[in-house]
Amino acid sequence: MNMHGMRRILLSLVLLLGLPVLVQAQELIAGKSFGKGPNEIVVTFAGPVDRAVVEDPANYRVYEEQDPDIKLALESVVLAEDQKTATLTFAEPLNARLSHVVTIDRVAESGAAATFKVMKPYLGYLLSILISALLINNFVFTKYLGLCVFFGTSKRKDTAKGMGLTFTMVMVVSAIMSWFFYQFIMKPYGLNFLQIVIFIGLVSLTVQAVDTVLRKVNPALFNAFGVYLVLVIANCVIIAVPLILADNEYNFWESFMLALGAGGGFLLALYLMSSVRERMELANIPTTFKGVPIAFIVAGQFALAFLGFSGLTLF
Amino acid sequence: MATDKTNLQLVVNGILNENPIFRLVLSMCPAVGISTTVMNGFMLGIAVLFVQVCSSCTIALFKNVIHPRIRIPTYTLTIATWVTVIDMVLAAYLPEAYAKMGIFIKLIVAFAIITMRLEMFASKESVNASFWDGIGMGLGFMFGMMALGFVRELLGMGTLLGYDVLGFKPLLFFVLPFAGFFCVGLMMAFFNYVEIVYKRAKRA
Amino acid sequence: MKNILTIIFRLTVACLLAGLVMGVAFIFTNKAKKHNIHVNEQKVMLSLLGFSEKNPAPASVAMHEVYRYLVGEGEGLGMGYLLPLQDGTYSFVTLDLAGGFVSQTPVAISAEKVVEEGERTPAIGAAIGAEKPLRYADQTIVVTNDGKRMAYLLPGRFPGFKTFINAILAVDSSFSILGLEIMEHEEDPGLGAEIDQEYFKNQFKGKPLETVKKLEVVKTPLPEEYRKGLEADKSGLGAEEVARIQEQYKDNDIYALTGATISSRSVTNGVKAMVKKFAYRVAILDRVLVEQHIATPF
Repeated sequence: MNMHGMRRILLSLVLLLGLPVLVQAQELIAGKSFGKGPNEIVVTFAGPVDRAVVEDPANYRVYEEQDPDIKLALESVVLAEDQKTATLTFAEPLNARLSHVVTIDRVAESGAAATFKVMKPYLGYLLSILISALLINNFVFTKYLGLCVFFGTSKRKDTAKGMGLTFTMVMVVSAIMSWFFYQFIMKPYGLNFLQIVIFIGLVSLTVQAVDTVLRKVNPALFNAFGVYLVLVIANCVIIAVPLILADNEYNFWESFMLALGAGGGFLLALYLMSSVRERMELANIPTTFKGVPIAFIVAGQFALAFLGFSGLTLF
Repeated sequence: MATDKTNLQLVVNGILNENPIFRLVLSMCPAVGISTTVMNGFMLGIAVLFVQVCSSCTIALFKNVIHPRIRIPTYTLTIATWVTVIDMVLAAYLPEAYAKMGIFIKLIVAFAIITMRLEMFASKESVNASFWDGIGMGLGFMFGMMALGFVRELLGMGTLLGYDVLGFKPLLFFVLPFAGFFCVGLMMAFFNYVEIVYKRAKRA
Repeated sequence: MKNILTIIFRLTVACLLAGLVMGVAFIFTNKAKKHNIHVNEQKVMLSLLGFSEKNPAPASVAMHEVYRYLVGEGEGLGMGYLLPLQDGTYSFVTLDLAGGFVSQTPVAISAEKVVEEGERTPAIGAAIGAEKPLRYADQTIVVTNDGKRMAYLLPGRFPGFKTFINAILAVDSSFSILGLEIMEHEEDPGLGAEIDQEYFKNQFKGKPLETVKKLEVVKTPLPEEYRKGLEADKSGLGAEEVARIQEQYKDNDIYALTGATISSRSVTNGVKAMVKKFAYRVAILDRVLVEQHIATPF
């Protein structure tokens, strides 16, 4: 028995004692998602796992998070060649919109169970709110809000851009403030019937604040966009967004995405409309239709086109 | 600056000359979105009438104590208060109507027509004149909405006020939301045409 | 400076005045609003059971509300049911996830207050101990006639094509569907909104549990004879004819709405899930009620 031998024994002792700690310290489940088919969940383990344990459906307990007492019927589990990826196939199609909880007994080295949730990526959900507010439920073309301001400022591209950007800025700020107010003041004290007043009050406050700040900080910018600030408050969308986020009980990030999408959608609508209207000034339009009537008809055609986005699900 | 129009003239003015939807081009959102049936137009018209009259009278009553720097927030506050009141009253006493008009009632607060009218008229005129002007504007709005609703309901569903008039559905298109744009545009063009013919006849 | 003070003062006064007006209106209208909602729900529920103004429900028919909660968390997660007892009091029965009985606690609450979630949840929390997390899940209404179970009413909410669809489903004691009523939806008018038309809703009537468990949506047009049977009010068919047609089509899949396949599928899947989960849970609850000799009025 020499130093070399002693070191070896010490090392193996440390490893033996430390291994369970190491294994439990690192995540057993490296990845989880819904599989390609509607009946599948795919689990990726961090290291090779015991085939007998993993391929036995009796070791699994899977349920939708909101219905923990209803176990979903698992037909089979297949472990891939690399012994790390398992595909769970269920008897019935899964509702991928809901969060599912999976528990696998005796899968860890120590014999403990592993429990984890499978759901659609949250970022995907946030982006889907954004795309919805931007295209599918565009506030101007699908929800018919904010039309007065829309027709007023869509005559030229510059006005359109200015109005769109100002509006998006005010929208995001006031939506966030409305969210804070709703979560921390209105809900706990049951002041829901004051929704309308408080939200519009917050909008006025935001407009006033942006007005003052812009005047002092960047006069050039103020000269370009200041005149649109007053128009923002006459825009139906500015109060529709807080009402929606209160109704749907969105959290902070969801509200932010909604506001961004609403503002972006408005900007998009304005830009499209102004591009057409600039061209129409050179077109030969009958006198009775000149000005607002033909603008309405064009808007109707845009609305028809936007109907094509209905039912779009990217995430 | 007191107006020299009689009360009746104020009302007629609101319906024809300064019709909020077709002439002043204000409050387009409901005109496009909600004018699918005559009944809807009628109900929303009543709601707007109520809010307009109450707000006009309130502002005319207090016009001397409202500080000029805060007049816009004050208008907004008044309108928001009346809108909340009518929202609660409708939910309590007319639930079917309320279910249909849902979000639009809450949006009345952002209708440009009411704020504009308070700014242009109620803050300068007497309570009496404001009252009649409010009625005129409200009636004008209701008339516009009902006219649109008439066309859309008849051509889209073949019914009027829920009664099956035509017995079939000519063009479902008209009831779908975006047809509102087309209808409003066409109606405006029609009003323009009427005005041109009228002017031409007058000159001749 | 004085100017700003005047402005602030006047604005505050205006806000207070506005608040006062709204508060007064709220106090007056809130009760009527809640009453309206309640009356509407009652009307819908009675019509689902087959009663109407011309055929009112006899006095022997009674409705009992059962509220389901999720109790605890992690390993201690379980189901809790707030049940009315024979003697008029309420009891909270907790079960573990496998369906085994855990505990029964009396809850002090009155029949008027139990319908308000704001009153009910704290009352249960006080009875079982405030440290246990309590989350309301849903409600079932058990309808009895002279004490015998006649039907179950299941209010439910599921995702539709646009946002959510709120519906109330009525099933009989063997879990065949008695009727479906769509309460709230935001589907497209003329397309998805047709889910609340008779010729769609009534397709669910009479379907037995085994059919519902495998129910799908087919995209073939609705047979003319079936449509007449579904819209008996308009087509004027007699009750016998309607019953015969219903029996003939009871094991068929649901015919989709024209141009609204997704909405049709959403409703069908929603109904399917509701019935399956309910049948599973009520079997467990009944077993526990019998084992523990809990005296419920149903």
